[in-house]
Amino acid sequence: MEDDKEKSPPPQEVVAEPQQEHKEDDIKVAANKKIDVLLKATGDAPIMRKKKWAVEGEKPVGWVTEFIRKYLKLDASDTLFVYVNQSFAPAPDQIIRNLYESFGSDGKLVLHYCKTQAWG
Amino acid sequence: MAEDREILREVWDGRVPVCVQLASEDCSTLSAPDSYYLMIPRLSYLPMVMDKVRKHFLRFTSQELQEAEMWLESDGTPLKWHYPVGVLFDLHCGGAALPWSLTAHFSHFPDQDLIRCPTREVVESHFLSSLKEADGLKHRGQIITNMQGKDHKQLWMGLCNDKFDQFWAINRKLMECTPEEGFKNIPFRLHSLCKPPIQRLIKPLADDGRKITLGDILQDYMPNTLQEGDRVIIQGIEAPRDTPIQWLSEHLSHPDNFLHICYIPAQT
Repeated sequence: MEDDKEKSPPPQEVVAEPQQEHKEDDIKVAANKKIDVLLKATGDAPIMRKKKWAVEGEKPVGWVTEFIRKYLKLDASDTLFVYVNQSFAPAPDQIIRNLYESFGSDGKLVLHYCKTQAWG
Repeated sequence: MAEDREILREVWDGRVPVCVQLASEDCSTLSAPDSYYLMIPRLSYLPMVMDKVRKHFLRFTSQELQEAEMWLESDGTPLKWHYPVGVLFDLHCGGAALPWSLTAHFSHFPDQDLIRCPTREVVESHFLSSLKEADGLKHRGQIITNMQGKDHKQLWMGLCNDKFDQFWAINRKLMECTPEEGFKNIPFRLHSLCKPPIQRLIKPLADDGRKITLGDILQDYMPNTLQEGDRVIIQGIEAPRDTPIQWLSEHLSHPDNFLHICYIPAQT
């Protein structure tokens, strides 16, 4: 999709999987397995020092949004938008696993976040 | 094609009968207000059709609740406004007892269960997001991205104003595919009560060229749950399990372009 370089490698060790096309069998994960979520800043949003996080698949998007808000120490009045595929904002109650299974690639789910509406 | 149009029209015209009453704790008058009866399009969203109900009940609530967001409950369960009405109906009522009995609340908003919906624009942006997600699955997002803003608006206005032709003039582009291959993936959600829906990457054809059916999906994603007597409802219809998923996606999807499949266990 795009090829922006990671400035600082994530501190946590991440096992990279070979690039692959979406195949149901390849990316099916056990219900309780944690999913690698890569959080990328867009627009004027502050960058997170640690970008890759392992998140339980059953956690909803709203939980991740709250997590980012806390990590960035945003004010209650600040808005925060989270996008998948750089195109759509998933509902806050959508679970991470559903997004990973549908839009994950390379063993992880990429979420873009920004403080103003970036897409759509 | 003529037959197809009839099916799309039939789905579009689907309505559910609803009876709403005001929660007794939110009623500040001596006698309870009359219930409010209405027919709601299956394809719409609750905030789009509840303005009159809200106005009707506000007269019976206390002063401090006048600006509160109204939320609805079916048999103890708060209803998610961002699911299409037809999906909520199939999941929570299933037509067992008509009209579908709902309770309107103005206090104790269940923030744990529901997203707030302060304005109509929130519904519109949720709808557009769903369209983008669905097209991301069907065509890698190419069709929705190449559309103009006015096309997106036309889809939304067509739905809001119950204009079938206005909506389908644009939506048919989102349904384009080659008859041999179908969509890249089928945007679907498999709903069951009390659990988040299941959404997976599904192609319309198996590796050997066989058409993937509704039965295949159920077998793959709820092999341990499925039992004799369970019902699987799409748009109020119990579709045969051998129906190809591509056909279902083209004909029985909601305007958000997702095929919403409701699983109702035999014993609840």
